[in-house]
Amino acid sequence: MPCIKPLEKCDSAIYVYDGSFHGFLCCVYERFYSEVMPVDIVASDDEPITLYAVHTVLTNAEKAERVLASISEKISPEARHLIETVFLSCLKQKELLMLNFLLRGYREGRRILSKLGDPDVAPLLKAQKHLLGESHLLKGFIRFSDYDGSLAATITPKNFILPFIASHFTQRFSNENLLIFDKTHKAALVYQNRRMEIISVDNIEFPPISEEEGRYQAMWKRFYATVSIQARENLRCRMTLMPKRYWENMLEVQDLC
Amino acid sequence: MELMNKLTILTDGAKYDAACTSSGSDRPGSTVAAGICHSFTSDGRCISLLKVLMSNNCIYNCKYCVNSASSDVPRATFTPDELAELTTQFYRRNYIEGLFLSSGVVKNPDHTMELMINALAILRHRHNFWGYIHAKTIPGASSELVHSLGLLVDRLSVNIELPSEKSLTLLAPNKTKDSILAPMQQIKNELAENTHALSKYKNAPTFASAGQATQMIIGATEDTDHRIITLASALYKKYSLKRVFYSAYIPVMENSLLPAVASPPPLLREHRLYQADFLMRQYEFASDEILSEDAPNLNPYLDPKCNWAINNMHFFPIDVNTASMRDLLRVPGIGPTSARRIVVARREGRLGFDELKRIGVVLKRAKYFILTKDSTAGLRLGKDLTARALIDPKIFAFGAEQLSLFDGSPIPKLNKALPHIVETHSISDAVEEAVLCLASNL
Repeated sequence: MPCIKPLEKCDSAIYVYDGSFHGFLCCVYERFYSEVMPVDIVASDDEPITLYAVHTVLTNAEKAERVLASISEKISPEARHLIETVFLSCLKQKELLMLNFLLRGYREGRRILSKLGDPDVAPLLKAQKHLLGESHLLKGFIRFSDYDGSLAATITPKNFILPFIASHFTQRFSNENLLIFDKTHKAALVYQNRRMEIISVDNIEFPPISEEEGRYQAMWKRFYATVSIQARENLRCRMTLMPKRYWENMLEVQDLC
Repeated sequence: MELMNKLTILTDGAKYDAACTSSGSDRPGSTVAAGICHSFTSDGRCISLLKVLMSNNCIYNCKYCVNSASSDVPRATFTPDELAELTTQFYRRNYIEGLFLSSGVVKNPDHTMELMINALAILRHRHNFWGYIHAKTIPGASSELVHSLGLLVDRLSVNIELPSEKSLTLLAPNKTKDSILAPMQQIKNELAENTHALSKYKNAPTFASAGQATQMIIGATEDTDHRIITLASALYKKYSLKRVFYSAYIPVMENSLLPAVASPPPLLREHRLYQADFLMRQYEFASDEILSEDAPNLNPYLDPKCNWAINNMHFFPIDVNTASMRDLLRVPGIGPTSARRIVVARREGRLGFDELKRIGVVLKRAKYFILTKDSTAGLRLGKDLTARALIDPKIFAFGAEQLSLFDGSPIPKLNKALPHIVETHSISDAVEEAVLCLASNL
C-alpha cells in the first residue's frame, strides 16, 4: 500500500469496525485522516488474535455519507454501486480490496471501472458477478411452504442476497405474505400487507406442515423424479448447474444430500 | 383417477420434449427476461416449467412416440380445472416459472386444442395466473384455435418433429409437412401483426410475446448434420423462430425403422448441434461456414468453433487489442461476454495474457489464435498440433460409445467410420485415436 506520509511516522494496524456499511466507509475516511495505515480491515465479530496493533474505527454516519458521496463524485455512480454490492458479498478480505480499489479510483477517476483486467478491479467485479449469480440461482431454487396461507422458505446462501431478490418476489407474489429466512446471515425478508422489510433474526422455528401442503410437496417430488430421463443420466452436469450446497433447502433433492 | 397418478402418467409422456425455457418474455413482476431454472433433473436439464401433457390418449401412430395409439402405456387426461389448480399451487411455492403444455391428439386436433385452450383460459382468467405459458399447437388444428391459443400464452411452438419430409412420411404418417408449416407461417404473421398493433395501441392483446420455437428429433433417421443445420438456419430466417431445439432420440418403441430399444441416445451429437446452433444465433456464423455438402457431419472431437478455426488458420492470429467485435467472436475461447469486455478494457491500455485471464477469456483455447501485448508473434503451432491441443475433453466424459453414434445414423453399420473407438478404454488411447482421426480429416 502506498504510504502518503513519511515512512517513520507511519504506524500500521488492523482496523476493526462494527461490520456495517457505514462502518466500512468510516474506515476509508480513517485511512485518509489518521496517522495509522491499515494492514487489514475486519469486522468486530471476527476480530483476529494478532501481533499487529488494533485500531478501532468508530462509526459516524456523517463521515460515512461524506465518503459515499465522494465515490459518486470523484469516481462514478457505477463505482458506488459496485462498492455497495461487493460489501454484501462473501469475498475474502473484501474491505481491504475495496479500499485499494477506492484509492486507485480517487487517483484515476471513472476510467478505473473500464480496467476490467486490472488486479485491483477484477476481483471486485468477480465478487459482484458471484453475488448476482447466486441471487439469480436462488430466484429459482427457493422453495416456499404454505403455512395457513402465508409462504415461508429458508435459504443458506454464501452472499447476503436478500436485498437483491426482494423486488423479484414481492412483485411476483404481491398479494401473498412472504417470509424468507437467511440462516447464514441470520436475517429475514418479511413481506406483509404489501410492506417489505429485511430484519435480523437469530432463528425461526416453522410449525409442522398441513396435510394439503404435504400433498403438493409429494406431487412436486413425484414430478421431479418422473421428468428425468434415465437414458440421459448425467449427475455431474446436474451438480455443476445446481451446486450441492443448495440442496438442503430444496424439497426434491434434500433426501439425496 | 387420483391426481398423483395422472401427474405421473402425463409427465412421463411429456418428458422427451426438449424445450423447457422460460426466456424471452418480459412482463414486469411476472417473468424474468433471461428465464429462471427452478431445478435440474438428474440428466442435467433445466426444470423451469411444469412440463405435462393435457392427455396422452392419442389417435396418431407416430412410430418414435411413446404415446402413440398402439403403444401399451396407461392413459390419462387432466380436467382443465385440475391442471389450472396444480399449476397455480406449484407456482406459488416457487417450484416452477409456469406451464409447458402439450398433448396427444384426443379424438381430433380441434378437440384437443379446445381442451388446452379451456384449461389455459381458466388458469389465466379465473386464477389470474401471470406466469409463463408455453404451449404446443396440434398439427392440423384450425387457424382460429391457433389464434385463440396464441392470445393465452407467452410462447407457441409447432414441432417440426423430423429433419426431412421423407423421414416424416416414414415415421409420422399422420402428420404432413403442410400441417406443420402452415401454423408456423400463421404464427409468424400474427406475431408481426401483433407487434404492429402493440406499437399503435397500448392495450392491444398480446399474442405469444416470447415468439415461437420448434423441436426436432435427431438420430432416429439418417438425416445428416448438414441437413439439420441448414433446416434450422432456414427456419430461423423464414419463420423468425426464437429457438430450434434438438432432441436426441431415445428409443422407446420397438420398430424395424428405428434404432433398437437398448441403444444409447446420441447425446454428444445433440451437444454439437446445440453448439452449432449457438454459433448461428450468437456468433454471426452462417450455416455453410459450419458444415458443407462435402463434410456433412459435425466433428465429434472438436467443438464446431474450434473446427472452423482449425480449417481457417489463415484468418489467425488476430490482435485482441485492435480486432473488431466480429473477429473477436471467431476466436475459440472468446464468447460474446468476454469479447464485449475486451472492447471496453482495451481503451484503457493494451491487454496481455494476465488481463485476458482476469477478464474471463479461456486462454487454454484462445492462446493459439491471438496476438497480445506480451505475445506479438503468436503461437504458431500449425494445424496438427493446434488440433491436438483443442480436442474437447468433454467427449471422454460422454463416453467412447457416443463417438460411434456420430455418423448421422443410429444404425450400427455406420460404426465403420470410427471402427476402433468403441474398444478404446483409456483416455490417452482415446486422445491418440482422436488425433489420428483428425489428421486424416484435415
